[in-house]
Amino acid sequence: MVEVAEVENPEFKWGKKRGIGGKKKDVQFYESFTYDGVEYTLYDCVYMYKEDEPEPYIGKLIKIWEHSDKTKKVKVLWFFRPCEIAKFLGNDQTLENELFLACGEGVGLVNINPLEAIAGKCNVVCISKDSRNPQPSNEELQMSDFVFCRTFDVGHHQILDKMDEKVAGIEGVVLSLIIKFLLNRVDHKKSSSVVKLDSIKKEDGMIAVAGDERVNSSKDVHEEHKTAKAKSLLVKEPTSSINIESGGRAKSNGVQENISSDKTTLRSEVKENAHLKVPTVNHRSSSGEGEHSRISVDFSEVANTTDRLEKTSRGKTNLRSKVEENADSEALTLGQKSSLREKVASDRTTSSSKAYSEIREGKGAQVPISKFKVKEELKSTKDRSELDNRASKRVKLDDSAKLYDDNEKNSVQKLGCDFDQNSAKEIVPAIATEDKSKLKLAVAKESHGIEKGSPKWPKVDEKLVKLSSGKFSRDSAIQTSNIDKKTDNQVSEVTPRQIFEDRSSWFKESWEDRLQGAHEQGKLVLLENLDPSCTKAEVEDIIWHAFEKVCSAKMVQRNATSSPHSGQAYVIFKKKEEAEMVITKLDEGCLLLSNGRRKAHRGAKVVLKPSCKVQDEELKSGFDLTDLDADSLGLEIDFEADLKELTRDSKPLIGSSRAPCFTKKQSTFLGHIALEKLKIQMPREMREAVSTSHCSQPNTLEYDMAMEWCLQQERSERALKVLYKRQGEELRRLKAKLKSK
Amino acid sequence: MESTAQTESAAFKEKVRRTVYLDNLSPHVTESVLKTALNQFGTVKSVEFIPNYTESKNIPLCALVEMEHVKQAKAVIAALGEFPFMMSGMPRPVRARPAEVEMFDDRPKPDRIIRCCWLNPNDPAFEVAQKLKQMVRQHAAEASFVLKNQLEEEEKLAKQQRDSLKANYKKYELIDGIIGDGTAQRLVRRYGMKVLDN
Repeated sequence: MVEVAEVENPEFKWGKKRGIGGKKKDVQFYESFTYDGVEYTLYDCVYMYKEDEPEPYIGKLIKIWEHSDKTKKVKVLWFFRPCEIAKFLGNDQTLENELFLACGEGVGLVNINPLEAIAGKCNVVCISKDSRNPQPSNEELQMSDFVFCRTFDVGHHQILDKMDEKVAGIEGVVLSLIIKFLLNRVDHKKSSSVVKLDSIKKEDGMIAVAGDERVNSSKDVHEEHKTAKAKSLLVKEPTSSINIESGGRAKSNGVQENISSDKTTLRSEVKENAHLKVPTVNHRSSSGEGEHSRISVDFSEVANTTDRLEKTSRGKTNLRSKVEENADSEALTLGQKSSLREKVASDRTTSSSKAYSEIREGKGAQVPISKFKVKEELKSTKDRSELDNRASKRVKLDDSAKLYDDNEKNSVQKLGCDFDQNSAKEIVPAIATEDKSKLKLAVAKESHGIEKGSPKWPKVDEKLVKLSSGKFSRDSAIQTSNIDKKTDNQVSEVTPRQIFEDRSSWFKESWEDRLQGAHEQGKLVLLENLDPSCTKAEVEDIIWHAFEKVCSAKMVQRNATSSPHSGQAYVIFKKKEEAEMVITKLDEGCLLLSNGRRKAHRGAKVVLKPSCKVQDEELKSGFDLTDLDADSLGLEIDFEADLKELTRDSKPLIGSSRAPCFTKKQSTFLGHIALEKLKIQMPREMREAVSTSHCSQPNTLEYDMAMEWCLQQERSERALKVLYKRQGEELRRLKAKLKSK
Repeated sequence: MESTAQTESAAFKEKVRRTVYLDNLSPHVTESVLKTALNQFGTVKSVEFIPNYTESKNIPLCALVEMEHVKQAKAVIAALGEFPFMMSGMPRPVRARPAEVEMFDDRPKPDRIIRCCWLNPNDPAFEVAQKLKQMVRQHAAEASFVLKNQLEEEEKLAKQQRDSLKANYKKYELIDGIIGDGTAQRLVRRYGMKVLDN
């Protein structure tokens, strides 16, 4: 499976060397590198991908190096999205695509991250009126993903309007940044040509799959391609699916054209689309195999679909924003290296299902067809390549008698109507089944791969297949969830999930405020019966593992009176619904947690088992069709033996929404006696002797009273000890039952 | 990577050993009060108050005080065990004990694997696990009841001490008063008593 291996290790090549550094001269700095088919140069802006963040971070590469142990690192100067620093923005207005460059000193300025976390290039243009800044042209502005003109001082938490000469303590960075910004586009073009050349090498084997309609569309793509001044090479293979892929390329070109046609409302979407396309194509080129590329096309189409939907539901802003987010994140995940593919895949499914439910809500269309619609849109998105011509494409696909229309809005509306036409429905299942078999093929291939994570990937495909094979009713979903039930008792390991540092924690207020706020918003859950030695990170991992939800946890620190049997933690979720879901799930189900074992003693049998898991809860809420948690990494532990081992000393987790108490500053303290008169009468030295800390002397009244307190303290301690001992006994007895059964 | 994690955890363990856990602290106790109070036993490196979010109010503060050496921490614990130690008030003494790993907020992640599984509702273990959950809840309630009881006891003790002290104080004040204004002298003369006057 050479190809698979290739997919797992996306191509990487170092570019220009710079110097050697480090304490032991073991660090090699570089000026550029090629990763996943994209050439990155120092000072390029990149998307940094983080698994559980809806949107990638954006940063600027200010240092690139490799250690002697071959770990590749990049130092990144961050950009902030307005939402990240909303607290400090106040009422300042921001542009839709405005970013803030980090400056000053402190946490959040720069970070060193693994090079692999880079998700793709990002075009950020500086629109500062600063005289040193060569003003970007309109064209450049239109092509940019983001703009910035202000900085955010991470030390003082201030927004600054001026560009400091020294950002991040690196002289002249800004200037070079600015210059580099303008170079971005050139790079893009270069990489696109690389892609094209690559795609030509691909087999024609998959052509047939595309079907007639597709061929038609590819022809159209083709024509458009010419206008988009695509390489003539592509024209030589008019019927190949590759062509469609390169159509993807053309799409972005077309999109760019469209930008210049000055439709402001659309521009942002279009832009998204553009950068969505670019990484996809790159991605594909690195996969270097027909099947894979077919699939990724499908994916990109799905991605497109969301964009498309975005348009159909233009009026409904809230829906749109969701889709937008989606499309955006997808675009980036698409560009992500293949080892992150599983994530890509699941994201995609999520988004398609989201889109799916949105169609349902928005248009009130029939549920069973809506998936077809999605599929159908896969085709229709082809049209996007020719933004002017696409109405005509629609006509071909749907067999409907719609007319050419240059007005996009109209065509969008038509799109909506087209779905309801029978002809469309008829065509689509055919395509769907074709797609299905194709996917299966890929699945079969893929699942032979021994690489970590690859089993996960086909899973998603299977799901896609299932969905597209015509069983769209709830029943099928329930079926899958039944299968899922069987896998219920599987023991799985909680694996760490972080890729790089969580930026969200940088500018947060104190825990006290956070707990208070979260509790008021219902996002706070108190977890009990954890292992007392659990750490914050472990709790977060457990939650991620069991619920696929991101949270931030705060361990309740142990004190003299806490139970030795049950550790507690406060967990803050992102949404109230998530918190409620977790509480109900923990209440109704049983999440057994083992006490940790040392890694060295791990000897469980490991079985590769790609399985399909759909949680019915999630289905009900209709937002996530995949649940890959239990078998992340595709490792299934031999279940029987392991459950026994697990139950030997395990605890079912408890979740509740108990309110946190906050100790307010009290003025008096129980057991401290203050005699007002006495204080006044006492000479100064005496008062100080009382108020400062001291050991009581046995010949004082104070000592006698203190002894009474000591007695009391001793009694309390003894009582608690007895109580906890009894509780421990009870727990042990009950656990013995758990074992014996 | 492995070795850095190990050194980190070793350093943390050392820190735990150097640290004293103090409770029964008055809310008036601040970091600087703690530092001055314990500097007589050695050098205080850091002070961290343990926040309490789970128990009801009126719970005394507790804090982790990191000393410079393990020996000093031991000295603190020994001294405070031997004599009642007053801090920012009296007569309720401060208690000290060795700190435990779980008391720290920023403990390093142990080198281990936690595993979890959702139990199948049909599994006999499921019921047991549900019972376990119930038991844990019950235990928590029990503990909180005991703590509440103790708080009441403490309140009672405090009140009793305050009252007796007040009564005593009043008595002394009275005596002080009659001696001060000459009443005592007059009475002595009136009844022809012999009083040794110092």
